[in-house]
Amino acid sequence: MASPAPTATAPAGARLNRVALGLGLAVVMPLLVILVLNLGRDPHAVRSPLIGRPAPAFALTPVGGGPPVTLESLRGKPVVLNFWATWCVPCFQEHPALIAAARRLGGDVQFLGVVYDDEEGKVQSFLAQRGQAYPSLMDDGARAAIAYGVAGVPETYFIDPTGKISAKYSLPLDFETIVQEVSQARAGAR
Amino acid sequence: MTFKIPVTLVALGLALVSVAAAQEAAPKAAALDPAFVVGAPKGKPLDGKALDTRTEEVGELLRCPVCQGLSVAASPSSMAANMKAEVRSLLAAGYTEEQVLAYFERSYGEFVRLRPTLRGVNWVVWLGPVAALLAGGGTVFLALRRSAAAAEAGASPTDALPNRDTLPDDRALASAVLRIRERAYGWPGGVAPRAEP
Repeated sequence: MASPAPTATAPAGARLNRVALGLGLAVVMPLLVILVLNLGRDPHAVRSPLIGRPAPAFALTPVGGGPPVTLESLRGKPVVLNFWATWCVPCFQEHPALIAAARRLGGDVQFLGVVYDDEEGKVQSFLAQRGQAYPSLMDDGARAAIAYGVAGVPETYFIDPTGKISAKYSLPLDFETIVQEVSQARAGAR
Repeated sequence: MTFKIPVTLVALGLALVSVAAAQEAAPKAAALDPAFVVGAPKGKPLDGKALDTRTEEVGELLRCPVCQGLSVAASPSSMAANMKAEVRSLLAAGYTEEQVLAYFERSYGEFVRLRPTLRGVNWVVWLGPVAALLAGGGTVFLALRRSAAAAEAGASPTDALPNRDTLPDDRALASAVLRIRERAYGWPGGVAPRAEP
């Protein structure tokens, strides 16, 4: 049985298929590129728009009382601003690293804790049990937390000597990261 | 060990003293003043029922940052409650809806807006579905029109089949295809009849 000769010209269906393929690729390829470029990215991580911009000013009362602490008064040296709470388990893990870094870096860097959504009595008990190397400040109504874009605790902001935010972390930090970020905050302000 | 507690206390004391001393020299802080972010209030200060209603309405436009797709008005979380209180305070002070949204956007980014603004790449979000609908509708319309034109020209549905003369290279498979075509369509030898000129 002899097979008939194939048609010489491309049928309309094949032409339509090529158009459909082209259109499909035009839609799918950009989506694939976006997918590949974001493969290593945490979909829940949102970059803070405050990085590189002046840190929001605040005046917060220290735990245990005393005059309010303002950010402006600390201009001239790096500030490590750690939002935390006693009910936050990762904050427990991070606490020793922050204390160690505060002790190592001494007076050249100002460490500050900002208590998020917690009771002062519980904070005082926590600090008495686990140690304290820098002031913790009460943030009534979480107004400072909102101004900094805090979405959970712990969150730590590194502020350079000129008052700009150089980095933000939304996870418990280790000693090395803290020291490294403080160093970069210092360098960035030069 | 015996030295640790005094050393810690001295270090903490020094830290507090240095911070307290710095306060005295500091200018009066414009702490957390929304006016420094979004300017002076442009609206009318609200209170009472109007304030309650607007707080809910604006809260519906803000994303709760600790929830999965919930608005500040709908979320039961403490963060959402704090944000809602801030919305209320801003509205009571006379800030407009856009100023309130801009205040939160400055801290959280555009992510915090549940309704993206019409700017930059956001146009894709607003116009993408419409464009996709138009493109899909256009494709269907063209395909239907082509099909109707073919029917008017007297072509049978089988004429519209692509590559009806094409056969696989494999000889056994090609002959099977021809047999099936013969049985299915009644074409002699499985070969499609040529259209009359």
